Amino acid sequence: MSNTVRVQPDLKFVQELQQVGGESLKKCYQCATCSVVCPLSPPDGPYPRKEMVWAQWGLKDKLVNDIDIWLCHNCGTCSDLCPRGAKPGDLLAALRNMAYRSLAKPAIIGTWMSSSKGFPLLMLIPAAIYMLIWILRAGVLGTAFPLFITDGHGLKVAADGVIIFGGLFPGDYFIDPIFGAVFVFMVLAFAGGIATMLKGFEGMPKTFIVGRGKEPSFLCCLIETLKVEVAQHSRFQNCGNEEKDVQRFTGHLFVFYAFIALMIVTSVVAVGHWFGAFFLQHIMGLEGGLAGLIAWAGHTPMPLWSPVKLLANAGAVALIYGLMKLTSRRTALDSAKSTSNWYDWYLLTVIWGIALTGIGSEIFRLVGQKMLAYPTYYLHLIFVFMMLAYLPWSKLGHVVYRTVALAYARKIGRLPMGEI
Amino acid sequence: MAEKLGVYICSGCDIGKALDMAPLLEAVTKGKLAGICPVVKQNPVLCSPDAIAEIEADIAANGLDGVVVCACSPRVKWDIFKFGQGVQVERVNLREQCVWSFREDEKVPGLLPLMAKDYIKMGVMKLSKSRIPAPEFPETFKTIMVLGGGMTGLTAALEAAKLGKDVVLVEKAATLGGKAATMYKTFPMSHPYLKAEDTGVDALIAEVTSNAKIKVLTSAEFVSLEGAPGLYSATINAGGEQKFDIGAVVLATGWVPGDTSFLAPMGYGSIKNVVTAAEFEAMAKAGSIVRPSDGKAPASVAFLTDVSLCKVAEAEEPCETPAAAPAEGEEAPAYPDKENAKHLAYSSELTSLVALKQAGYVREKLGDALAFVLYDHMMVPGINERYYKSAQDDAGIMLSKATITKVTEDADGGVIVAAKDTLLGADVEIKADLVVLPTAIVPVTAHEPTMNLQYRQGPGFPDLELFDGFVDSNYVCFPYETRRTGVYAAGCVRQPMTMATAKEDAAGAVLKAVQCIGSANRGMAVHPRSGDISFPVFNFQRCTQCKRCTEECPFGALDDDEKGTPKPNPTRCRRCGTCMGACPERVISFDNYNVDQIGSMIKEVYVPDDMVAGGPRVIVLVCENDAYPALDMAAFRGKSWSPFVRFVPVRCLGSVNAIWVADAVSKGVDGVIMLGCKYGPDYQCHFVKGSELCSRRKTNIAESLGRLGVEAERVEQYEVSIDEYDKIPGIIERFMTEVITKFGPNPFKGY
Repeated sequence: MSNTVRVQPDLKFVQELQQVGGESLKKCYQCATCSVVCPLSPPDGPYPRKEMVWAQWGLKDKLVNDIDIWLCHNCGTCSDLCPRGAKPGDLLAALRNMAYRSLAKPAIIGTWMSSSKGFPLLMLIPAAIYMLIWILRAGVLGTAFPLFITDGHGLKVAADGVIIFGGLFPGDYFIDPIFGAVFVFMVLAFAGGIATMLKGFEGMPKTFIVGRGKEPSFLCCLIETLKVEVAQHSRFQNCGNEEKDVQRFTGHLFVFYAFIALMIVTSVVAVGHWFGAFFLQHIMGLEGGLAGLIAWAGHTPMPLWSPVKLLANAGAVALIYGLMKLTSRRTALDSAKSTSNWYDWYLLTVIWGIALTGIGSEIFRLVGQKMLAYPTYYLHLIFVFMMLAYLPWSKLGHVVYRTVALAYARKIGRLPMGEI
Repeated sequence: MAEKLGVYICSGCDIGKALDMAPLLEAVTKGKLAGICPVVKQNPVLCSPDAIAEIEADIAANGLDGVVVCACSPRVKWDIFKFGQGVQVERVNLREQCVWSFREDEKVPGLLPLMAKDYIKMGVMKLSKSRIPAPEFPETFKTIMVLGGGMTGLTAALEAAKLGKDVVLVEKAATLGGKAATMYKTFPMSHPYLKAEDTGVDALIAEVTSNAKIKVLTSAEFVSLEGAPGLYSATINAGGEQKFDIGAVVLATGWVPGDTSFLAPMGYGSIKNVVTAAEFEAMAKAGSIVRPSDGKAPASVAFLTDVSLCKVAEAEEPCETPAAAPAEGEEAPAYPDKENAKHLAYSSELTSLVALKQAGYVREKLGDALAFVLYDHMMVPGINERYYKSAQDDAGIMLSKATITKVTEDADGGVIVAAKDTLLGADVEIKADLVVLPTAIVPVTAHEPTMNLQYRQGPGFPDLELFDGFVDSNYVCFPYETRRTGVYAAGCVRQPMTMATAKEDAAGAVLKAVQCIGSANRGMAVHPRSGDISFPVFNFQRCTQCKRCTEECPFGALDDDEKGTPKPNPTRCRRCGTCMGACPERVISFDNYNVDQIGSMIKEVYVPDDMVAGGPRVIVLVCENDAYPALDMAAFRGKSWSPFVRFVPVRCLGSVNAIWVADAVSKGVDGVIMLGCKYGPDYQCHFVKGSELCSRRKTNIAESLGRLGVEAERVEQYEVSIDEYDKIPGIIERFMTEVITKFGPNPFKGY
């Protein structure tokens, strides 16, 4: 018969899934409580019941190309109510982890990212790069913990100066080119990952929707997704309404907007420096007026009353608040119901690292503790590098993958257009 | 015969509120019954210690030999109204059957006192016709014979020995151990119930063979069993015929693997690498699991427990093979074979567990090989759920519900299993190196009579086709019970079961055998009327040797001589009275339950000559086992019914003698209802055949009535089970409107 499917069970795949967070998947006995209680699961071919049995049989093809793993926002209701402790929520998280691990190339980063064993190595790479810079600069400046005074357009080491991170780690020659390269590397990795993911989705059945004209364009769906899901977290909000769900939703929203704020700050600095100071003032030779304002806005260190600095500090506070919510929820999880895996802890660790070292750097700088300020800033650089460079292989990769998947789900009718 | 009766009417529990006591007392003191009732009293709370003391004092002072307690149902407070061995007790159910369930009739109001009077007089009459039975106390043999030396038989032998009984263990094969000895492992039998384990049969054999109380006979042919419980003589040929005196028998002859031809639709026989679970087990026991086609270890094994493909064969198969008429001088096939495709379904629980167990063998013995289990039902009741969970936890054991649609052979010798309705979400094909099909558990009694009883009704158990050969006669209520008192079945001969269950089953059947020997020794019935000392008494002078009693006894209790005169075997008898109901000459009676007694009771019912003024009357003969408790329950739950019916309890509808119906009709009663258990293939009759026989006899009775000009519809039988109390008012209502209203008064009324 034409729609008979040859099943190719894969024991290794089952075992891999169990290793990346789905260890309880074999306990499922297919009662479908999970699919019934899921607040988001569509009525047609609901998840996560079917994913559970596919996982038990090691049906790799079905699972790696399953769009539904991105529809799930992991509220854990399924796992809470599972009569067998099979933790379907954890399985879907594990499947997403598997996607982070295998979608983007080079695959070796995925392997390092998949367990705590790879963490030291992943940390060592930026640590070595920035340590090298530090040592080189210390040689040039004559001290590893310099204080600076402004000397015309440049900086001069002086015992009565102030802490300027850009003095020790110059943006123009070290920080910006490295992060620029990292950013390009990340974008390319994502591009490859997205291509692989979309190719896998081709096998997904398209839902025929009565009354719907022709299939909407991908761009249209993407805009819809950004508007509804990303900006408003609307599906996320529908994902359970217990206290822990609210905690998670609020935490995620704060962290998300904190990152938006910090991204704006970073952009202002970059534009101010490279467009204002470098391009307009240095190359074009413009002085004063708009060029001066642009250059000034991106000039670091900023005065504390600068609106950009205020935004940065507000972002930092929001980040800490969100992180506290998310971390306290995660530590309070009932391990019999759902568990946290390495991907969860990696991301929390890195973001906590960024937040604490960022704030630490600022405080130590302001109080003039150079012996603390520079090492803290060094750590900050390491954490930021880790977040950015490994983003496609980390849980934060969902920023891109989930967005694309949700847009695609709208395109094929798996999700409805519009508000939910 | 009880001749000095005390009659006590209780006015507690609403009785006094609904009924005036004085006329009720007068019904006894001022009638023909007065002479045999020296004490007639009322009491506000008859079950109180004071009242009991008063009755006891009356018994002593007046030399009473019977007490009629007119109060609540005999099913309650039976332990209170007991006055010693010499005093018979009759309970008149004024509370449930009169007061609580009384419904006023608009046209004939105020019938309650009349009804109560009827019942009181019926009770007094019944007791006056009752004697205390004096059974014989035969000196019984105490030895228990266990047939079959497998897991069940060995356990039974040990259990019996532990209870101090001598045991004769008979095994057909040369060695003990049965099926258990052929198995690599069995399902978990002890905490934590997670892993298949050794059967432990070797240790059990050692224990049995070293037990001084157990005589083991191997390579033994069981020739015959003669006599009756407590008094059996068993003939066994183990290198020469020997006779043994036996008290009771535990039948543990187990099972044989089902006929593999039923598995042909699933590729068995035509595809090399399709084997049965029994064959797979043998491979595991021998040490290496290989594919029959090439002798190589399989990398994947599929266990298919869905056998719906085989059901096609079942439908085509005739229900019963019509026996060809035997040619002259040729014996008819003595024992029609009872195996069919249904045995696969009956074995479902086992086939589920076996698939899990053998999937475990794959994981244990074949490295990274995969085991697929495709099931229709995963039947793992009770503690075995834990075993299922642990099997499921193995990543290499993959399970799905599935309906197998096709099993085909691949070019490389692999087997392709096609299935629909799977949990995987599509019609699927799975390729496996080896496919294992379930083995049906077929009781040995499906193929042969096994017991070789020297009974008039034949060597085996009757009606086993109802159970497709499994020896069980009432598994819901009476496990181990067979249709032959004294023979108790245990293990897979009775029902497919695990070894853990079989062991418990063995212990249960042994207790039943011990009870049987003890009861026989005390002249009592074993069950269901445990402790009943009455027994059928035959008045042979009037017997016409019609053989109805010997043929109809559901338990083969009666043998006969060459002329057909029945030969009672009291220890085989269950005291149901089916023989009494069968006898056209009414030569069979019990001291405390007989044709005259019930007939006299019915005659005590007042039947008005004018049906319009006094209302009709209907006699309901009620089975004591299910229908009577259902009536009590209905009354207890506030149901009520027509005030024109009068209930007469009977031991079993099988004991209903046609003369009772004839007497009732000739007296002017307008209708007779027989209220008893469900009969047919799913019977609930405590005496197996009673309600069925009654329905057959009813047809004859109705025909006879028809010849007399009385409508056949006036006699009706209804089935009611113990939990169907809510149906009772409807049954009575329907009879009253459809029969009585429709046909009007009994034409014999007033004569």
